[in-house]
Amino acid sequence: MRKLPFLLFLVPAALFADVVYLQGAGTITGRIVEQTATTVQVDVGGGIIGVPMSNVERIVKARCPLDDFEARAAKLAANDTAGWLKLAEWASQNGLPMNAHDAYEKALASSPDNAEARQALGYTKLNGRWLTEDEAYQASGYVKYNGEWMTPSQAQIEQTNEAQDKARKDAEYAAVAAEQRAADAEARAEEAEKEAKKAQEAQQYAYPGYGYGYYGGYAYGVTTWPTGTGPSLGAGSRPSGGGRR
Amino acid sequence: MNRVFSLAAATLFAVTLAVPAAPAPTVDKIVADYVAARGGLTKIRALKTLRQTGRIFAGQGREALVVREVKPPGRIRVQFTIQGVTAVFASNGTTGWKVSPFEDDMALKELPEEVTREAIDQTDIEGPLVDWKAKGNTVEFAGNETVNGQATYKLKVTLKSGAVRYSYIDVASHFEVRVDSTRQVKGLDLKIETTFTDHQKTGGVLFPRKIEIAAEGRPQHARVVVDKVELNPALSDALFERPNLPKP
Repeated sequence: MRKLPFLLFLVPAALFADVVYLQGAGTITGRIVEQTATTVQVDVGGGIIGVPMSNVERIVKARCPLDDFEARAAKLAANDTAGWLKLAEWASQNGLPMNAHDAYEKALASSPDNAEARQALGYTKLNGRWLTEDEAYQASGYVKYNGEWMTPSQAQIEQTNEAQDKARKDAEYAAVAAEQRAADAEARAEEAEKEAKKAQEAQQYAYPGYGYGYYGGYAYGVTTWPTGTGPSLGAGSRPSGGGRR
Repeated sequence: MNRVFSLAAATLFAVTLAVPAAPAPTVDKIVADYVAARGGLTKIRALKTLRQTGRIFAGQGREALVVREVKPPGRIRVQFTIQGVTAVFASNGTTGWKVSPFEDDMALKELPEEVTREAIDQTDIEGPLVDWKAKGNTVEFAGNETVNGQATYKLKVTLKSGAVRYSYIDVASHFEVRVDSTRQVKGLDLKIETTFTDHQKTGGVLFPRKIEIAAEGRPQHARVVVDKVELNPALSDALFERPNLPKP
């Protein structure tokens, strides 16, 4: 026991995992596989996560559950079902679900009908056959909608709600578009009025007989009012700026 | 159709059997029994902070370690760890923030207002039934129902914030065994059923150690297993405050 502190000094630091502390809160624990001035890549035991260095507060070496998992897994024989089950549960308790999954798979490889491993991996026994979670839901009459399993009636409700929501949003966009077209038309009308007045003044000089009415008619006439789709917005398009969304 | 009818008939039968012949006790009596079963008002009121540690399982191999720390009024911090990656969600009672690498975002971000509001609603360690009048909540008797084969009193609880939830108190044990609430999911109001089992006392106060969360019409449930409950741990206010980060 007295030797323990001394032995700890002999453990190379490289055997320990890296804990990447993020700015503010949160951590990524695993083994750094690459580090540059801008990014650090961490192998968390189930994949590699890239972290921008701008989000990193500090990096320290520390023994972590992944180290212990690997040390324990290395000592287990392939056919040691009980050992793999125990390690899988330990991994689950220590926040390593992917390693737990692997350990349960190892237990299944040596004991394909093991109920604990099957259930932990999401299997359900139906009519004497192990079904995956998806198969079991399907067999029970559920449907997958937007990536989630639910009753057909719930899927119907959500589909209807989504359609209503879309219709409401489309109506809102249409209202905004119409508002914008009206505003554009008003601006153009004002501009046209100014132009008309200028032209009238010019015409009054050149052709006194035409009078005000003609240009007035043009300026406030149909051609400057919004048509079905309007001059700047195509049917169904969204306003590019301003207005409600 | 026959199956649905049989199920409905069986449920109706079970409910009919469960309804006690005697009139239901008053809301005050139901709540008083519930408070006593939880350990009594003195012990519950002595709770100033709380830390719960456990695991959450959401099916398809999705599971996480969870640490939930609460310091009323309004302060809550929840930490999730999945495969070496730890995310933090917190509120100081006014605003909320998160660092959530799971969402492929390593930067500190503000929490949406509605999420913060929902989080703050969860910081009443005592629960909304304890001292409900003083807290500005309202509680009404909403009938008798059967939950997992047990007779319960159903109470309609309207929080001061306006949020409504239904609490089911077991007639025999006086434990709260289920809470129904409504949550906005993808813009839709979804009924959420939270079932509490495996009640155990820590420091003389009762806590459920197994919590199951189900959404209406969905077969996938989230299960929470609470491994450890700590009463009055030292939690500094700074834990809940948004960290001041240097400007990039």
